[in-house]
Amino acid sequence: MTATNTLARNLGRLSLFLGKRVLALLVTITIGVYLTIWIANMGGKVDEIRELQIRTSVAQEVRNNPANNDLPPNERNQLIQERVQNEIQRLGLDEPFIYRSGDYLARAMSLRLGRAQNMSSDAGSRQVYAIIGERLPATLLLFGTANLIVFFLAVGAALRLSRRYGSRLDRTVIGLAPSSAAPGWFYGIFLILIFAFIWPMLPAGGMVRVPPPDNDWAYALSVAKHMVLPVAAMVVSQIFIAIYSWRTFFLIHSSEDYVEMARAKGLPERLIERRYILRPTLLPIVTNFLLMLIGLWSGAIILEQVFNWPGLGTLLFQAIGQRDTPVIIGGVVIFAYLLAVTVFLLDILYAILDPRVRGGPK
Amino acid sequence: MADRPVLDVRDLQLHYRTRTGSVRAVDGVDFQVQRGEALVILGESGCGKSSLAKALLRVLPRNISHLGGQVRVDGMDTMHYSEEWFRRNIRWQRMSFVMQAAMNALNPVVRVGKQVAEPLRVHQGASKAHAQHRAREVFELVGIPPDFLQRYPFELSGGMRQRAVLAMSLITEPDLVLMDEPTSALDVLTQASIMNRLKGIKRDTGTSFVLITHDVATSSELADRVALMYAGRIVEHAPAETFFTDPAHPYAKLLMSSVPRLRQHERPQSIPGEPPSLAEPPAGCRFADRCPQAFERCGEDPPAFNVTDEQATRCWLYADGGTS
Repeated sequence: MTATNTLARNLGRLSLFLGKRVLALLVTITIGVYLTIWIANMGGKVDEIRELQIRTSVAQEVRNNPANNDLPPNERNQLIQERVQNEIQRLGLDEPFIYRSGDYLARAMSLRLGRAQNMSSDAGSRQVYAIIGERLPATLLLFGTANLIVFFLAVGAALRLSRRYGSRLDRTVIGLAPSSAAPGWFYGIFLILIFAFIWPMLPAGGMVRVPPPDNDWAYALSVAKHMVLPVAAMVVSQIFIAIYSWRTFFLIHSSEDYVEMARAKGLPERLIERRYILRPTLLPIVTNFLLMLIGLWSGAIILEQVFNWPGLGTLLFQAIGQRDTPVIIGGVVIFAYLLAVTVFLLDILYAILDPRVRGGPK
Repeated sequence: MADRPVLDVRDLQLHYRTRTGSVRAVDGVDFQVQRGEALVILGESGCGKSSLAKALLRVLPRNISHLGGQVRVDGMDTMHYSEEWFRRNIRWQRMSFVMQAAMNALNPVVRVGKQVAEPLRVHQGASKAHAQHRAREVFELVGIPPDFLQRYPFELSGGMRQRAVLAMSLITEPDLVLMDEPTSALDVLTQASIMNRLKGIKRDTGTSFVLITHDVATSSELADRVALMYAGRIVEHAPAETFFTDPAHPYAKLLMSSVPRLRQHERPQSIPGEPPSLAEPPAGCRFADRCPQAFERCGEDPPAFNVTDEQATRCWLYADGGTS
C-alpha cells in the first residue's frame, strides 16, 4: 500500500514538473517566434515594399490590358487605385503591423505556416508546410547521425582517457582540442578537396546519386555514401573538444569520495565507471551535448550549403536570399519547436537520471 | 587459526612524491589485530592515520612513490598479490572500510539500499532478493528504519548516511572493519549512539574493528587496545585501560592531559610546538623537540621497548625495562 502511494505521489510530482516545463518552453518559443516575425518583416518595413510591389504590378497589369486603352488617364488611375486597395485589403496590409504580427504569431505557433511568396517545393506546392516537410528529414538525418556519433565516441574515449590521464594519447588529444575552433564546413571544404577530387572515392555533394536508384537498398547506400563527408566534417570539428572537456570532467568526478568508496568496496572497474562515474555525471554531459547541438544547428546553414545538402539550412539560405518571409518564419518556427522538443526530452531524461530533480527544490 | 591475528602489519611504509620531495606519511608501522578485538589508532591531524588506512586497503592516490612492508590478512601477505586478487579476495570479503568522508561516500543518484547491498551482489554473487534482505538486516543492526533502503542519499540526514555506510561495511560479514574517522563530522549524541551500536555489533558478531581517529573521548568507548601514532610511526601500543589511565610515552601523557574532563578543575594542557615535517623527519626521536623529558639519547632513533608484557613504547626512557 505504501509502495502504491509512493508511486502515485511520484507520478503526480513528475507530471506537475513536466507540466511546468511545457509551459515554460511554450513561453520561450512564443517569444522567439514573435521576435523572428518582427525581424523577418523588418518591423513592418517589408509590408511597405510589398505594397510598392503590388502597386507596380497592378499598374502594369492595368496598362497592359487592351480593354483599358480607351480609358482617360484619371479613370485609369482610379481603377489602379481601386485594384491596389482591394489587393491590400485581401492581404490584410491595411491593418497596422502590430495587429497583424499577433495574427502571424497565432498562425505560426499553431503551425499554420501559410503559403510561400515565391518559393515552391520540389513537388510544386506553394505551401510552406510542404516545402519544409520536404527538407526537414534530410537535416534531421544528417545532424542526428553526426551528433550521435560524436556523443558516443566522445564519452567512450573520454572515460578511457580519464583513466590514462597524462599518457601520450591523452596529451595528443588535448593538443588536438583547438582544432574545434574551426566549424564543420571549414573541414568540409578540405574533405571535399581530398576525397572527392584528389582521390575521388566519395561524392562531393548532394544527398543521393542522380538519377536516384530505384532499389530501396541501393538508395539507402547512396545516401549513406553522400553522408560520409558531411558527417566526418562535423565529427572532426566537434570530437576533440568534446573528448577533452568530458575527460577533464570525468577526471574531476573520479576523485569524488563515493568513487573512492566504490574502489574500496572492490567493485570491478567497469561497474565503477558505469555506475559511479558515468551515471552521476550524465546530467551535465547531456546538457553539454545539447549546447553543442544548438551550436551545430547554427552552423547548419553553411555546412549544408557547402555540401549542397537539400536540408532546412539550405532552404533558409535560399529563403533569406529571396526575402520569402513566410518560409523564413516557418523555418524558424520549426527550428524553435525542434529545440523545444529536445529540451523537453532532456527534462524527462533529467527526471529519470537524477532523483534530486524530480521533486524540485523542497 | 584461533590465535592467528586477523590483521598483522609489519614495517608498513607509504611514501608520497611531492614537489618538495618524498613525504613519509607512514614510516614503519607495526601492529596486530586479534579476532573480535577493537584497536584504536589514535593520532593528531597529519600524523599519517588516513594514509595508513589507504595503505591497508590499497586505495592509493596517484602520487605514491613507495609502498612497502607486510600486510598479513589472516596469515596471507597481501603485498605479494595482484590488484585484481586483492579486489576479489580482500576488499569487503575480509576487510571492509568506512571512509573519512562517509557523508559523501554514497552515490547521489543510486538508491541507498542498492548501494548497501552492492558488495554482497558483487563479491558473493547474491541474488537481488537475498541482498535486499541482508541489507534490511544490517540496517536494523545500525539503527536505520528498513524503509530507508528505498531512499536516495540526499533524503537522509548526515547521521543516517553515516549509519548507512556503516551498514554497508557490515553486509558481507567481513573479519575486520577498518574505520577512518567515522564519526568526526557528527554531533556528540549521534557519535555516542553510533559507538554504542558498534560495541553491540562487536559483542554479538565477533567482528574486529580498527578505528582510526583523533578523538580520544569517543574512541575510549570502543577500544580494547590503543596504538598512538605520531609523525608516521606508532609510538605507543597498550591495552585501552592502561593507555587511558597510565600511558608511558611522554607524548601520550601530554595528549591525555590535553583532553578536557567533566567535573575536574585542572585545565586541559596543550602541547607546545608542532609535529615535525614528514618530508624531513628528524633523525632521532620524532617527538624530542616538543618533549619536556628529552635528553641526549633522544638524538638516536628509539626502538620499541616493552614497558609491561602488553605495553610497548618508542621512548629511550624505557630502555632499561620500564622505570620512568
